[in-house]
Amino acid sequence: MSRIYLITHLPNNIKNTFHNVRHRTLQKVSLCTSSSSSSDDDTKLQKKVEEKKKSKEALDKLNKLLLTMTEDDVSSKTKLNLAQPTNKRQKKLREKQDFKESKATPTETLVNAANNVAESIGGDVKQTQSELLMKLLNVANGDATVNTNLKDLVKGMKIDQESAQGAGLSKAQQVRQILQEQSKAPRRKGDMAKPRSKSAKSPKRDVVVEKISLFGSEPLGIFSPNQNDLTEGVVNKTWNHLYDKDLKLAVTHPPSNYFQQMILWTEQKKIWKFPIDNEQGLEEEKKVYFTDHVFLEKHLEPWCPLKGPIRHFMELVCVGLSKNPYLTVEAKKEHVLWFREYFKDKLELLQETGAIQETDLGKLHADQKQSEH
Amino acid sequence: MMNISKTLLRRGLPQANITSNILLSTATIDDKIEIPKRIPRGPTDILRALESTVGRDPTAAHYKYHDDPYLIPLSSSGKRIFAMAQEAGRKAAHWVRQEHADLFQHREADPVIEAFVPPMVYTEESEVAVADLEKLIEMRQVVDSAVVYRVLKEKNVEVAQELEQGLLELLCYQNCEDGVSEEFVEERWFRQASKGKEFVKKTWKDGDLAEQIFTKMTPKTPESYCAIIQGMSKYRQMDRAVQLFEEAQKSNIPLNTNTYNSLIQSVNMIKENFDMRWSLLADFLTQMKNSNLKPNLGTLNAILYALSFMGNPKRAKEYVLQTLAEFKNLGIEPSLGSWYYVILTFCKERGPVSTILHDIINHLEDKEHQIRDLKDTHFFVTAMEMARHHLNDVALARRIDKLLNYGDNYNLIGDSYKESVYFRHYFALLCDNLPLEEFMNDVYFKLVPHIYVPEVGIMAEVLNQVDVNGAVEYIPKLWSDLIVFDQSHRENLVDCILNTMVNNEQLVTPELTESFAKIAWDIYSRSINEEEGRVHRLNLTGDLLGKILILLVRQKDFEKACKVMDRLDKNQQTIAGVPKIEALALFVDLCIEEKVPSRGIDCIQYCTDCGFPEANSLAVRLHKELNLDEVFLERLTKVVGDVFSTS
Repeated sequence: MSRIYLITHLPNNIKNTFHNVRHRTLQKVSLCTSSSSSSDDDTKLQKKVEEKKKSKEALDKLNKLLLTMTEDDVSSKTKLNLAQPTNKRQKKLREKQDFKESKATPTETLVNAANNVAESIGGDVKQTQSELLMKLLNVANGDATVNTNLKDLVKGMKIDQESAQGAGLSKAQQVRQILQEQSKAPRRKGDMAKPRSKSAKSPKRDVVVEKISLFGSEPLGIFSPNQNDLTEGVVNKTWNHLYDKDLKLAVTHPPSNYFQQMILWTEQKKIWKFPIDNEQGLEEEKKVYFTDHVFLEKHLEPWCPLKGPIRHFMELVCVGLSKNPYLTVEAKKEHVLWFREYFKDKLELLQETGAIQETDLGKLHADQKQSEH
Repeated sequence: MMNISKTLLRRGLPQANITSNILLSTATIDDKIEIPKRIPRGPTDILRALESTVGRDPTAAHYKYHDDPYLIPLSSSGKRIFAMAQEAGRKAAHWVRQEHADLFQHREADPVIEAFVPPMVYTEESEVAVADLEKLIEMRQVVDSAVVYRVLKEKNVEVAQELEQGLLELLCYQNCEDGVSEEFVEERWFRQASKGKEFVKKTWKDGDLAEQIFTKMTPKTPESYCAIIQGMSKYRQMDRAVQLFEEAQKSNIPLNTNTYNSLIQSVNMIKENFDMRWSLLADFLTQMKNSNLKPNLGTLNAILYALSFMGNPKRAKEYVLQTLAEFKNLGIEPSLGSWYYVILTFCKERGPVSTILHDIINHLEDKEHQIRDLKDTHFFVTAMEMARHHLNDVALARRIDKLLNYGDNYNLIGDSYKESVYFRHYFALLCDNLPLEEFMNDVYFKLVPHIYVPEVGIMAEVLNQVDVNGAVEYIPKLWSDLIVFDQSHRENLVDCILNTMVNNEQLVTPELTESFAKIAWDIYSRSINEEEGRVHRLNLTGDLLGKILILLVRQKDFEKACKVMDRLDKNQQTIAGVPKIEALALFVDLCIEEKVPSRGIDCIQYCTDCGFPEANSLAVRLHKELNLDEVFLERLTKVVGDVFSTS
C-alpha cells in the first residue's frame, strides 16, 4: 500500500527534476541570447535568429523527451498498479484509446501493427491480437525489467533521500518517514510483525490454469490394446542385466546415514548378512552330513590291520581328523588314503621291525595285488 | 482373544459388530491357531527398516563429512573438494593394493571377501579359461574381458555361442570401454553432466572388437543383430545401424522391442524435418506391430523423447497427447522420464504458456515412484525450472517439493548438479514471491548451508529483496554467510550489501550500526589483506570506500575512518572512481566532532582534488565550528582558496 503511494509520487519527483532541468536550460538559453545583443546589428540579427532556432529546437527536443519520460512513467505505473488478471483487457482498451488519440509512442505503434496483422489474418481477431500483444509486450517488458523497475524505483527513492541536500522534506522522504514509523512502532526484540508488503510481483504472464486431460486424447491407433499374446522378442540377457544395474546406480547416492552405508556394504558382500548366521558362505558344507566328518574308520576298513601299532596310529589319525573343523570330507579321506600308500611303500621296513604281523600282511598284500591290477 | 475384543470396544464399533466379533473370537478359541505365513526377508531388509526411521537433519552436515566443526565444509566448492578428497583416498588405497598385490594375499575372512582381494591382471600371456571370461562379463570388466577373449581365440579354445553373445552385448553396451567403477559413489555423484540437452555426437567406435565379433559370428542370430543395432544407436552411429536394420528386415530376422526403441530414439538424427521424422517413427511402430512385438515403457519414452525436439511444437504436442492415450490403453503407465519429455514438449521457452505441469503433478502426487528409466532423474529439476520460469507459481513449486520429499522419492534427484539446480530454481522462485520473513525463516535458514549453498546470482537476489524490504537485521547473518560461501570477493554482492547498509539509516538500532561498521571494516580489511596467492581479490572502488567510510562514521569510529580516508587519499591513482560527496562531508563532520582539524583539512584537500564544488562549503563549516588558528587557516586557504572572506 505504502509502496504504491510512493510510486505515484515518484514520477512527480522525476517530473519535478526534469522541469527544473528544463527551466535551467531555458534560462541559460535566454542568457545566451541576451548576451549576444552587444555585437553588430546585422550579423547579430542573423546570429540571433539562428540561435533562437537552435534554442527552439533544443526546447522542442526537451519537451519531447519529457513527454516520452512521463508517458513511460504512466505506462509503467499502470502496469505496477494493476495486478489482477483483467488488466490485460484494460491495458488493451487504454492502448486502443491512446491509439485513437494518435500519440506516437512505441507501444501504440506496436498495438497498431498487431491490430493490422490480426485483422489481415482473419479468424479470431481479438484472440490473435491479444496473443501477439502479449508476446510483444512481454518481450519488451519482460519479467526482469518489471521487477527491476519496481526494485530500482523503490531503491531510487532511498537514494533520492540522500541527495535531497537538506532541502525540505520531499514526498519520498515523507513517505519513508511514514514507513519507518510503521516499522518502528511494533518493532521490539521478538516482534516481527512488520508491515512488509509482499513484493507485488505480477506473474510473468497472466496464466489461466486450463486443465489439460493427460490421457483424454484420441490414441495414435497403431497398436491394438487387447493383444495379450505378444512378446517383446528375443531377450538380450546381458544387455538387460547391465541396464538394470545402471538404473540401480542412478539412484545410489553417497550414503546419508550409517544404515545406508551398511546396506551398501552388505550388497558389496563386504559384511555379514542379517540375520547373522555363522554358516554364511558354507553352502557346500551344508550338503555333507556330519557323520561323514566324524566316522572316518570306514576308510580304514579295507587295508588297515586290525591290531598292532599301525592300527593304533591310524585310529589316532582318525580321531584327530574327526576333530578338525577346517578340512572337507574329501581332504580327510585323502589324508587317510595317503597313509595307506605310505605304509605300502614302507612295507619291508615295517616287516623287519615287526610292526606288521604275517596275518595282517595278507590284507595288505591282497590290497597291493588289487592296486597292481 | 479377549484383548482383541477390548480393543474393538475401545474403537467404538457399533454394538452389533462387537457382539459378532466377540462371538467369532470366542468361537476361534477352540479352533486351531492360525500362524501367519513367514515373510521371507532379504539380507538388507532389517537395515532398510531401521534406515526409514532416520530422516535428514537439516542442521547437520551430510553424513559423509567428518563430524567436526572445523572439518565441515560450508561452501559449494568446499563440499565438492572434501567429498572428492575422501574418494581420492579410497582410490589411493585401491592403487596401493594394485601395486603391491603380493602383500595382500592373506585371506583372513571366511567366507572370502571378493572385494578385498587384489584384482587379477590379464595380459596376453595369462593362463585363462572360459570360466574367467564368464566371470569378467558378469563383473562388467570390459577391457579385461576383451583381453581374455583374444587370448582364448588365439589358443583356439572353444567359446560357447551364448558366452560370445554375452560378450558382444557387454561391448555394445559399454562401447568397448570401462565405465567408472561402481565403488566410487562420490565420483558418480559429482560427475557434472555438463552436457547440453542432446549429445548428438557419434561416439561409437567403428571397427572395434564389437563389430569384429559381430562380423565373424556365423550364423548371425537375432540376438546379435539386436545387440549390435542397439549399441550403435546408443552411441549414435546411425548410418550403420539403419543399414544393419534393413539387412535384418531383408533376411527376415526377428528383432526385439528394445531394438526398435533405440531406433525410434534416434529418429531425429536420421531425418531432417518434422514430417519425415514423424513418418519414419510411425513406420517403425507399424513394423513393430507387424512383427507382433509388444511395446513397453521404453517405446513410450523413446517416442516422447523424439517428439520433444522434433520441431513443429503444435503438432508435436498433439502427437504427445495421442501417444499417452495410446499407451494408457495398452496398460503401460508413464514413468517420470515420460513426464519429463512431456514438460519439455509443452513448456518451451519461446512458446505459449502451458499449464500441463499442474495436471502432471495432480497425477503424480502422494505416490512413491521408482526409477524405471534412466531419464527419470531429470524430472524434478525440469519441473522446478518450469514452475519458476514458465509459470512462476509458488503453490506448484511447493507441491513439487512435497512430492520430492515423499517416501524415497528423493533418490530420484539424480546427482549433485541436478540437486543444486533444483534448489536454485526453488530458492529463486520463493525469494521473488514470498514475503521476506517467511522466506528467510521457512526456506533460507532451513536449507542453507547444509542442504543447499546459494550461488552468487541467488545471493544477489536475496540481498536485493532484503534491500527492497529494508530488512536490515538480516544483513550481519547474510554477510557471514557470504564469507563462509567464499563469495565475499564478488563486487556486485559487496556493492549490494553496502548499499543496503548505507541507505537504510533510519531503520537501524545501535547494535546494528555497530555490526554494520564491523562489516564495513571487514570488507575493507579483506580487500587490503588478501594473501599473495589468492586469485580472487576484491578491488574496492572509490564509491565503495566512500560507503565504508559512511558506515564507520556513523559508528563514530574515528581511527578506522581515518585509515580508510588515508587509503583513499594516498592511492588516488589505483582506486577507480571517487566516493560520493556525502561520505566526505560526513567524515569532515566527524573530524569536527573529534576536534582534529588536520584530518579535516586533508579531507577537504582530497575533495578539491576530486573536483567537488562542495569543498568550499565544507571548509567554511570547518572553520566556523572549530575556529581554526593561523596555521590551519593558512593551510585551508591554500587548499580551497579564499572563501573565508565571503563567509
